[in-house]
Amino acid sequence: MSAMSPGLVPQGGVLSVPPTFVNDDESIRSWLLTTDHKRVGVLFFVSTALMMALGGAFALVLRIEHLTPERTIVDALAYNRLFTMHGVVMVFLFMIPAIPGAFGNFLVPIMIGAKDVAFPRLNIASFYFYFVGAIVVLVAMQAGGLDTGWTFYTPYSVQSPSAVVPTLIGLFIVGWSSILTGLNFIVTIHTMRAKGLGWMRMPLFVWSIYGTSIIQVLATPVLGLAVALVAIDHGLDWGLFDPARGGDPVLFQHLFWFYSHPAVYIMILPAMGVVTEVVCTFCRKNPFSYRAIAYSSLGIAFVGFLTWGHHMFVAGLSVFDAGAFGILSMLVGIFSAIKVFTWVGTMYRGSIAFKTPLLYVFTFLFLFVFGGMTGIAVATTSLDVHWHDTYFVVAHFHFIMVGGTLTAYLAGLHYWFPKVTGRLYSERWGMLAAALVSAGFFVTFFPQFLLGNAGMPRRYYDYPPEYQTLHVISTVGSWVLASGMILTVTYLAWALKSGKRAGNNPWHSASYEWLTRSPPPPHNFDDTPAFVSDPYDYTETGRLSHE
Amino acid sequence: MSEGTAAHLEHFQDLERQAHAARLGIWVFLASELLLFAGLFALYGAYRVHYPEAFGWGVDHNVRVLGTLNTAILICSSYAVATSVHMLRKGRAKLAAGLLGFTLACGATFLVIKGFEYAAHFREGVFPGGHGAFFHGKPEGLKVFYTLYFLMTGLHGIHVIVGMGILAWLLSRILRGQLAVPHTHPLDIGAVYWHLIDVVWIFLWPIFYLTPGAL
Amino acid sequence: MKSISQRTTFLTLLALLGLTLGSFALSYVHLGRWSIPVALGIAALKATLVITIFMELAVEKLTVKLSLVAGFVFVFLLVGLMAADVATRAAAPLLPHPPS
Repeated sequence: MSAMSPGLVPQGGVLSVPPTFVNDDESIRSWLLTTDHKRVGVLFFVSTALMMALGGAFALVLRIEHLTPERTIVDALAYNRLFTMHGVVMVFLFMIPAIPGAFGNFLVPIMIGAKDVAFPRLNIASFYFYFVGAIVVLVAMQAGGLDTGWTFYTPYSVQSPSAVVPTLIGLFIVGWSSILTGLNFIVTIHTMRAKGLGWMRMPLFVWSIYGTSIIQVLATPVLGLAVALVAIDHGLDWGLFDPARGGDPVLFQHLFWFYSHPAVYIMILPAMGVVTEVVCTFCRKNPFSYRAIAYSSLGIAFVGFLTWGHHMFVAGLSVFDAGAFGILSMLVGIFSAIKVFTWVGTMYRGSIAFKTPLLYVFTFLFLFVFGGMTGIAVATTSLDVHWHDTYFVVAHFHFIMVGGTLTAYLAGLHYWFPKVTGRLYSERWGMLAAALVSAGFFVTFFPQFLLGNAGMPRRYYDYPPEYQTLHVISTVGSWVLASGMILTVTYLAWALKSGKRAGNNPWHSASYEWLTRSPPPPHNFDDTPAFVSDPYDYTETGRLSHE
Repeated sequence: MSEGTAAHLEHFQDLERQAHAARLGIWVFLASELLLFAGLFALYGAYRVHYPEAFGWGVDHNVRVLGTLNTAILICSSYAVATSVHMLRKGRAKLAAGLLGFTLACGATFLVIKGFEYAAHFREGVFPGGHGAFFHGKPEGLKVFYTLYFLMTGLHGIHVIVGMGILAWLLSRILRGQLAVPHTHPLDIGAVYWHLIDVVWIFLWPIFYLTPGAL
Repeated sequence: MKSISQRTTFLTLLALLGLTLGSFALSYVHLGRWSIPVALGIAALKATLVITIFMELAVEKLTVKLSLVAGFVFVFLLVGLMAADVATRAAAPLLPHPPS
């Protein structure tokens, strides 16, 4: 396999650039109508990154508002709309689609030695479902405003005179993207693996996408139903959850959380897949236990479905259900713990390279464990009675989603940047940004545990002055975090244009995506490799086969 | 591309792989459809536990014979489309097309019967959302019952219409010779979707027609 | 993929129609609390026949079979825990009936 970077190569006596998925037909039309999974991945990446920036902007405004009790820069109604938009955009338009849509689409077929996903046209269709749905959601929230919170609880969501119906229509459309993406990956992984590439030799990132896809296919329809019912109740006045007509609002919550709890595993499972890849490459070691990581991915997917009632402990759930869900919620921590111990066991005695991706992984490990343990804490019914709807819960899920998923996303972004773009970013800037992001994150969200424990409710516009100090610290942290993110965008954009050329395998990884060129050719491999070596084989013989 | 020849899509190794992927795909999709209806069945279950008498009354008030007739119609339609798949695989395209036509006729009949049922409800003043003169002075549970009835049979009806559309399109491809041995798996896919409609109705029928509660 | 014979398919049709008739007849019998489980049990049997024979799941690869089993497991989970919630709550009305 040639280790040449995609510089000029002699071809028939003339120097020319070998085709990559980027330069092979550069027309806009070819990008917009692409069936190349790599291009679909890039389309998802750009769109979800923009959504992340938008959601982040909303968050910054929210934090500025909280600098002082009472009004700082926005009024109460605008505040309600801001936290709703922040939640809707971040959850549905960034966290859910980002890693599977961007990284999953780009990498999974390459990692299993396939030319594309099983249904390439369905793939681009699922991007357009996402794109169109996102536009509908954004326009609706702008034009009419939405103040129900991203959780759309009835009866308020049915009564609120805001843009509930169009927003839910948009979300319904986005949901299709999720289902079709998951369907595509499941079929791809089952049917398109290269000859000789068995289930137990796939890169573990593929296992994490597989588990995620199962959740996407089985959970999203229930969300679709839940939001459709709210839209119907709102628009047609069918009152299915209206107590005056015999309806029960808690049943909406059941349907909503039946999706939205597994949804958080859609958000974290792919991130865990990224962590596994980065740990093995940058510690030059095979996983402490391949099967532990593989099976725990399935375990999380399954057990994640059993726990949704822990969001409803104070909603009026029966004592029986509350008890059942409390116990079941504890179980899911087991699989996350298995992964954490496996990663740490992998790093032990590894040959560690302190590059930006691994720095983000270190941050991930600390923040994810911290956040995960607070998850076990709030899963304890008797404790959650006090913490529910306070900043304690807000801090918990931001530790997991930002401290977990976002740092893993950044790790993956830096890890695979050379593969996708053929360029290297600057390690120095990468490390600085990682430090800013990590420190900024902690200063933003750790005080929120203290705030919540002291009784500060979530989604409240103002607060008693005793809480101000912690709020101010949190807001300053958000500025540090934002600066780290902006710095990241800046040096990566610069590297895209002017970074040093990366070879096929700048990290000397054993995983399969590094067997091909950077950027990859349109059909992924110039000649399909034999895949005889293990994707985590860092022994002498393994290394020689893919330097 | 698919002129009934052995041509297969480029990214698959061969037609058999493509057919297997397509079949796995529709089954995975079916699992998602199952969960969609499951949410509604869950609502029914929860509300029936809460309003046993009202739900029992509502079930009793539906016309049991019509519901049973519709069940039989869908079962026959399932048999027809399953046999159509077999016939197409054996190369008997004309028979396959005829059977598909029969399936479509069954679907249409089903919808017509449901249309009559809905019309009867509307005449009585039964509308979803507890709207309508019928509900004055009646227990609240009946409002929930009928809202769920219209939601669940309505969603099912939408699936019947979509299924008919898919089968009609497949029928047209067979008549144009585009679907023939060895490239017959698209009909398998459409048939599986149609059978889903039958399976969902198999469960809708008892909960809306056969179980008038403790008598 | 192996195939299912025409004969099996036809016999399944007869069985389904027979079960339908049987379920219809049973619905007129006073089964009390058992009417719902019986009706749903027969429905499950019919669904199994449609799925395994008409939809040919019986001769599909294991992966396909598993995807359906997974789906049903979660269906029971959702239905079960939602109904259990309502069934095990303290016996209080949802809200007082609004004054008419």
